[in-house]
Amino acid sequence: MATDTHSGAEPAEQYNFDIVKKFAVMSLVWAVVGMSVGVWIASELAWPFLNFDSPYFSFGRFRPVHTSAVIFGFGGSALFATSYYVVQRTCQARLFPDGLASFTFWGWQTVIVLAAVSYVLGYTQAREYAEMEWPIDILIEAVWVSYLIVFVGTIMRRKQPHIYVANWFYLGFILATALLHTFNNLAMPIDLFSMKSYSLFAGTQDAMTQWWYGHNAVGFFLTAAFLGMMYYFVPKHAGRPIYSYRLSIVHFWALCFMYMWVGGHHLHWTALPDWTSSLAAAFSILLLMPSWGGMINGIMTLSGAWDKLRTDPIMRFMIVALSFYGMSTFEGPMMSLKEVNALSHYTDWTVGHVHSGALGWVAMISFGSLYHMMPRLWNTRMWSPRMVEWHFWLATIGIVLYIVAMWISGITQGLMWRSFDEFGNLQYSFAESVAKMMPFYAMRAIGGMFFLTGAAMMALNMFMTIRQGQRENAAAVAGKLAHA
Amino acid sequence: MSDHKPSAHSVQTTGHAWDGDLQEYNNPLPAWWVWTFYATVVFSIVYWIIYPSWPIGNTWTPGIKTVTYVNSEGETKTHGWNTRALLMADLNKAAAAQKPYFDKVASMSYDQIAKDPEMSGFILSAGRALFSDNCAPCHQSGGQGVPSFFPNLTDDDWLYGGGYERIHETIVQGRRGYMPAFKEVLADAQIDQLANYVASVSGIAHDAKLAAAGDQLFHGNAAGCYICHGENAKGRQEIGAPNLTDAVWLWAKVPAAPTPEGKVAAIRSVVAEGLNRGVMPAWGGRLTPEQIKVLTVYVHELGGGT
Repeated sequence: MATDTHSGAEPAEQYNFDIVKKFAVMSLVWAVVGMSVGVWIASELAWPFLNFDSPYFSFGRFRPVHTSAVIFGFGGSALFATSYYVVQRTCQARLFPDGLASFTFWGWQTVIVLAAVSYVLGYTQAREYAEMEWPIDILIEAVWVSYLIVFVGTIMRRKQPHIYVANWFYLGFILATALLHTFNNLAMPIDLFSMKSYSLFAGTQDAMTQWWYGHNAVGFFLTAAFLGMMYYFVPKHAGRPIYSYRLSIVHFWALCFMYMWVGGHHLHWTALPDWTSSLAAAFSILLLMPSWGGMINGIMTLSGAWDKLRTDPIMRFMIVALSFYGMSTFEGPMMSLKEVNALSHYTDWTVGHVHSGALGWVAMISFGSLYHMMPRLWNTRMWSPRMVEWHFWLATIGIVLYIVAMWISGITQGLMWRSFDEFGNLQYSFAESVAKMMPFYAMRAIGGMFFLTGAAMMALNMFMTIRQGQRENAAAVAGKLAHA
Repeated sequence: MSDHKPSAHSVQTTGHAWDGDLQEYNNPLPAWWVWTFYATVVFSIVYWIIYPSWPIGNTWTPGIKTVTYVNSEGETKTHGWNTRALLMADLNKAAAAQKPYFDKVASMSYDQIAKDPEMSGFILSAGRALFSDNCAPCHQSGGQGVPSFFPNLTDDDWLYGGGYERIHETIVQGRRGYMPAFKEVLADAQIDQLANYVASVSGIAHDAKLAAAGDQLFHGNAAGCYICHGENAKGRQEIGAPNLTDAVWLWAKVPAAPTPEGKVAAIRSVVAEGLNRGVMPAWGGRLTPEQIKVLTVYVHELGGGT
């Protein structure tokens, strides 16, 4: 790591790292903002007075602020940053064109701000993970098409004959997200000057469209894209080749093919036709091994470098991320079976599952990658390696608290809702199951606080690292001038 | 995997290198990975055979699993597996468990039901389930109500009467509480006097002179309070007019007021503004007669009287 100073050795104009830096910084900003809102709403569920009887603070409006800020703000910015970094380095080509790349930055940040403000004011399409109303959707579309042009344009300028595996995953994610975003958001505004619109889909078709989008947002935004991140930063950081090229090809195509079918498993036991949801359930089982292909490739790549786990917290972020990825991609197919889903549906188990993927996989692989990438971008080292260590443990403890709380509360809810007494009557009222959740909601909020504290430490550490890098570079330039 | 361990460097890389040192081994697919994938394929095929799954034109493969249930006309039906039939079968099962008890409910009097030890278990179970689903949103799960909104069902104070027949009538027909706003017909000073009188009959510190004047108003025809609340201010259950002397307050925010002046002001506000929100919906037609009978006994058990 210490000997790896290539980024400073290259001429500054070879790569556009300015845009990467901007996205990386905003990724951390949104991490802290989004996770703070998450902790806030988790606390609202445990201690409802935090609503302050105000619509602006209510769970219903804050929840999409949380999901949009962490998925699109933190996750999205981390993906823009790493994909621009990876595609340039592995293609040995500068981003094409700079102006459009810059537009993706300002456009994307505007989207997140507008989304958050509009949710708090009460504007929503009520489509999960796509709550933004139509004017924001159009801006997203423009940003996303620009992203595609920049990414493909850069690949076309590559000086390497072969396209590195990480880029397939990033490109798959960009293409699929464009498709998903477009079709899920087909809507008719009620007036050109109104934020309000109505979806072109209705009833069950609408539900199916939403979950086709919703699950593929998980599949392509939160899985394929972060696998792209994994495929560059894990081998790069470990200094070892990817375990199997063949596995990467097979699982890439299998993953892309299978994911598109499984959205219906979110709509078991609803008005969705039964055949649609059982088809989706079976494809979810088929998706298990393609998902695990990524985990195997990552873990086997690290396998020659286990000794580094003792000394290198960045490696630990990566291995924990891969482990949680494996665990949640096993849990997901199980939950998509009808009989398991009959217990888990509508319970906190689902919330726990999402967070084992979001915190355990998405956030941990992003933290690891950013810790690897950002010091190199500013040509320095982490300001405080001990804080990285602390971040790792806070995050890991936070995830475990969160998931365990949601497993217990989810399974408790599921069992309470379905239990009948000997007279054939429901044994518990809904309100009784809510009352039982209190300790677990408190535990979940505390888990979230651990995770947030870690992320805030990272943001501080990175801020100091950037300042240190700027000082060192200024001193180096001054030194050169003095010698001249 | 042990037979192709990459650390042995027996495996070749693909021969490409990116960004300096990024390379890929060309290891074969792990055998366990391939075989587990085949196993999931077999699992899926079995799943598709069991459940409805593949669309074909206007229909779909139905799957071999079936569900048998009794429909609302009493006919026994067997269908390919589907969630609606499954729900019907579940409801059939619950209804079968409940039927002997509901039959007994229909044939017994309230007193008989309440005294029958076998039935009390059923009332507690079915009544609680019905109450939780239908009544608890307003009256709360324990029946304790919400001050200023929904009456407490566990105390001895009953607006419309706490006997079986009255409770039954309340559930079947619903209720609508109403009191006119007296600021439209009385002067501010008169309303002050009335508020002090009402405070006096329920033992709240008050101004005796104002209360004496309020007494006159209460029992006179200018305000006419006695017509609904009675000569002795103990209310009239036939029309749901509350007893003002028992220190139980539903609408006036008396318990919440910390000072005697505040309590009088809380009473005053109800006299001045009146009330038009004491609405309880009618459940006749929404619940079966047996269910309402069960609820009647259940609510009576909570705190009913005669």
